[in-house]
Amino acid sequence: MIDYARGFAVIVAFGLLGTLLHRLGIPIPGGVLGLLLFFLALTTGLVKLRWVERAAALLLRNMVLLFVPLTVGLMEMGQVLHRQALAIIASLLVSWLAVLLTTGLLGRWLLPPDATTAPAESREAVTEAAQ
Amino acid sequence: MTWFRHPAVSIAVTVLAYALAVALHRRWRWVPPIVAACAPIMLLLLAIGEPYAEFNRGGSLLTWWLGPATVALAVPMYRQGKALRSSLPRLTVVVVTGSVVGMAAAGLTAWLLGAPLPVVMSTIPKSVTTPIAVELCRELKGIPQITIALVICAGVMGASFGVPLLRLAGVRNGLAIGAAMGTASHGVGTASLLRHSELQASVSSWAMAAAGVFTSLLAALLMLFLP
Repeated sequence: MIDYARGFAVIVAFGLLGTLLHRLGIPIPGGVLGLLLFFLALTTGLVKLRWVERAAALLLRNMVLLFVPLTVGLMEMGQVLHRQALAIIASLLVSWLAVLLTTGLLGRWLLPPDATTAPAESREAVTEAAQ
Repeated sequence: MTWFRHPAVSIAVTVLAYALAVALHRRWRWVPPIVAACAPIMLLLLAIGEPYAEFNRGGSLLTWWLGPATVALAVPMYRQGKALRSSLPRLTVVVVTGSVVGMAAAGLTAWLLGAPLPVVMSTIPKSVTTPIAVELCRELKGIPQITIALVICAGVMGASFGVPLLRLAGVRNGLAIGAAMGTASHGVGTASLLRHSELQASVSSWAMAAAGVFTSLLAALLMLFLP
């Protein structure tokens, strides 16, 4: 329990710091600024991975819960969605294919074959249901 | 129904619907948890005639946690980044290129088909993980709900057709498959790779976090050119 409390405290603190910097005029979302600072703190050893691991895994695993309320708002978007359906669906299909194939083909050309890299030992960090 | 207006009630309803959705998803893997969680809430609100704005007074308290969830993405980025050290420069080039292509393709397609500016802006962050996509959409003055719907679709498409399509295109390299899935289909694509290989999934979770960061930086550049 204390483990989670410490993890959440660190994560929320970085989130607030990011939000503050964003309010001060940096044109990057506060959460992403927080992510970058947090990443920097982990890299420099200022924050130890074991302090935050469990809280981070809990947040990432249950991320879906956090965007349920926003998604429920789709019920009021019927008109916009209906009127712009073609543009929205076409844009989704075209850009999804474009990203997947560009990244995949460029990766096939640039990245080394499998045998030379090993995955990190734990699969806990890989988010399970996060969308 | 005034009792329903208490924020605690909408939070409880949301958590309950989410728990049920997760159980359904465990039983039948093809049920996307987000759809299974939202549909009953929408039906309930319609049935009792409660406006979304009332429900969202409690809901927005949950939405706030998307910020910390974004921050938490630093953990997979750090952990997988350490394991992938030697390939990181090249992986970065691949993910940045993919992110640029995705933003341009989404925005241009919507714009060419005559969508109004807020809808065009809503399509631009569609490849990245939801919490970042929502924040970016707000920055770009888009409509968050449209972005969320697109992000979910991009994820589900990746989980269903991503790997077969990549195979068809001749991509068999594990690092390339991971990078492509994480960049195009974020967490849902990443999760689907766990069944294939842990290496692919870890590359994918790095790519998902990195694509979110790079897309934010690119969106900040884009905003310089907006009126």
